[in-house]
Amino acid sequence: MTAANQSGKSIYQWIFSILPLLRKPRNFFFYILPFSIILGRFIPTSTAAAFNDAGVAMVQIIAFPAIPLVLTAVMISIANIFSVSERSREDRFRFSSRFVVSLSIALLFGSVLALLLSLYQAPGVLSPDAKLSIGRFMLDVTDIRVGEIPIVESTVKGLWITSIIPSNIFADASSGQTLKVISGSILAGLAISRLKRDLTQPLITLLRSVNTISVQLLYIVLNLAPLVLICLIAGAVSTINAEIVVALLNFTICVFLTAVASLGVSRLVFRRFTSSRERAGLNVNPVDSVFLLSLSTGSSMTAYPLMFQTLKSMGRDVSEVEASASLSLLIARLGNVTYNVIAIVFALNLYEVALTPFRLAEVAALGIVTGISAAGLTGVATVPTIAVALLYFQVPAPPVLVLLLAIDPILTLPRAATTGVLAMSISVISSVRSSPASDSNPSNTNLGLLAQSSEGSAFEGG
Amino acid sequence: MVRLLLRFLFTALCAVLLLFPLQVSAAENSFIDEIQQRGFLKVGLPPYNTPPAYYLEPGSEDLQGYDVDLATGLAEKLGVDIQFDRSSTSFNDLVQRVGADDFDIAIGKLGLTYKRLFDAFPIQYLSFRHALLADRSFISSLGTDPDDPKFGDVLRNAKMRVGSIENSTWETESRANFPNAEFIGFKNWSSAKKALTNHDAKSDGLKIDAIYRDATEIKPIVYEKPVLSLKFVPILFDDIIDRKSIYLSEKGRVGFSDFLDNYLKREWGGIKSDKNILDDFQAFYLPSDS
Repeated sequence: MTAANQSGKSIYQWIFSILPLLRKPRNFFFYILPFSIILGRFIPTSTAAAFNDAGVAMVQIIAFPAIPLVLTAVMISIANIFSVSERSREDRFRFSSRFVVSLSIALLFGSVLALLLSLYQAPGVLSPDAKLSIGRFMLDVTDIRVGEIPIVESTVKGLWITSIIPSNIFADASSGQTLKVISGSILAGLAISRLKRDLTQPLITLLRSVNTISVQLLYIVLNLAPLVLICLIAGAVSTINAEIVVALLNFTICVFLTAVASLGVSRLVFRRFTSSRERAGLNVNPVDSVFLLSLSTGSSMTAYPLMFQTLKSMGRDVSEVEASASLSLLIARLGNVTYNVIAIVFALNLYEVALTPFRLAEVAALGIVTGISAAGLTGVATVPTIAVALLYFQVPAPPVLVLLLAIDPILTLPRAATTGVLAMSISVISSVRSSPASDSNPSNTNLGLLAQSSEGSAFEGG
Repeated sequence: MVRLLLRFLFTALCAVLLLFPLQVSAAENSFIDEIQQRGFLKVGLPPYNTPPAYYLEPGSEDLQGYDVDLATGLAEKLGVDIQFDRSSTSFNDLVQRVGADDFDIAIGKLGLTYKRLFDAFPIQYLSFRHALLADRSFISSLGTDPDDPKFGDVLRNAKMRVGSIENSTWETESRANFPNAEFIGFKNWSSAKKALTNHDAKSDGLKIDAIYRDATEIKPIVYEKPVLSLKFVPILFDDIIDRKSIYLSEKGRVGFSDFLDNYLKREWGGIKSDKNILDDFQAFYLPSDS
């Protein structure tokens, strides 16, 4: 009995020791991805749904610490940055202006980059065989039913502006309204920054504690990431229509190319906006690590602790890094912006809509708006945000969405990677080196984030 | 004694003749009796080819299809041969002719309209949803998401050009269900399909936005040529059902409706939906490879 217990314990210990190792990006490419694909080829299609459900359930667990992490990180960092007693007016203005400008430039850059690559790659211009494959795939799926009780909610919703006004920060948090949580946290942070320290200290201590716990929780649940990927990829490979992937190859390549181009640009930004002294302690380019981590987990949010830890270890101002990293990861959603631009061009090409310069400008603008409207959504739920743009161009939305959703299990990975690396760029541009005085000030630097160096090392480059 | 015996035998013979008629197989139902006397069932069919319901096998004069099989099965149960008449000029003409006793029954995916009820008596055997094959650009131009519950009303009240076979139930139904639509009648279904899918703005004039018929006619268009799914979308009306019926004359209703009803329940399997037909005749609806 005791021997059985010990062997059971040793299996658990082995699993929990192997999972963090599998989380490394290179293990994703060498072990998890091939294993998942082979598993997906062998499991019966009937079990694919069970694999998918298990994967989605684990994603839900991984996303569980996100809301308290965001709420506390944004509130504390905004309170620190805009604190009248601790920072000068110039400092506050410098950070705000750098962040807004870098965010705007990143959005514009992402949109234009995706547009240029789309024009070059021409997604949606299909061969007759590809059109036939798509037509076959659409049979029965896109039929319109009139007179039945609607099961699926409308995919077309209002513009994002209506969904960012907070109502009740706790209610918004409990209902997963991330955008409302962010805007509410910014407002609360600004209010805290206007009050005397002794009045706000109890709340800040509580927020720091929640933040530290959330980060720790994120580390624990991130151990599930390899299992999530195995379940989701195997489930997707078992059911995904290979014919559709081939038919939409141009579109797929275009999304991956955008991710790689974003990586290149982010590397340049990192080199240009960091000093050699800051980079001296780094063994690996952290932009590469952020890219690989986001790509291998399919979630840009998982790269947040790595971005924070890297920039903090380089001596960047903790509050500025915290604010810029969390806000750019969650608000800008640059991966979704680039993806949506490519998807809109794909739809316009598919329906042979002429791409005039004015229309291209409209595509870029709508890509930004619909991409930002994906804030707070994860994975496949972000795809229907382009329906607004398709309706604007009077292009049939349902068939395009059906096609995009069919290959989304693959494209969610480069989308997350693009968001991760461009958010890193924004954070690098908008944050500055903290002064020696502030470095020594524990109230500014020690926010309880990633204090455990041994855990932090689980990320490459971290 | 002999006379007495002869008298007894004569009386007994008369009694036997009275109690057991000579022609025991002759029907008491005059309508069925007439068919059996004639030796064949007269069936009116529309003058079109509508596979898999009724059609001429390519290169031969053999009629095929589930409507043809149903009528043949009826004839077998009656113990007679069958004769098809395809000389009617339209669906409406066919119904008028069966009402005038030109045939015993009229069959061939005949829909039910008020006008046809003036002419003949229907017995329902199919239940098909009404359907449109619409241009996706036209649907987008309506500005209402198809998942929106209001979409049905928007579509029904839309100004559009709907095509189908002229002098058919679809002309009547189009005017009733799409009051703001303009109905464009075509000589046959192939012409209607061509007008939607192969429209040439220069030679064909104005483009139609949708073609209208039941689900078993609309769905096969995209099944046969899947590439059409990119530009055209089937719209299925779950709340508008076409009660496809076999039509009888007044005499036929009195003398044949019970027989037909019993046959439909026991041999045909009750009223079949468009889904049943699409499943039962998959070979006709499977996507082609080209």
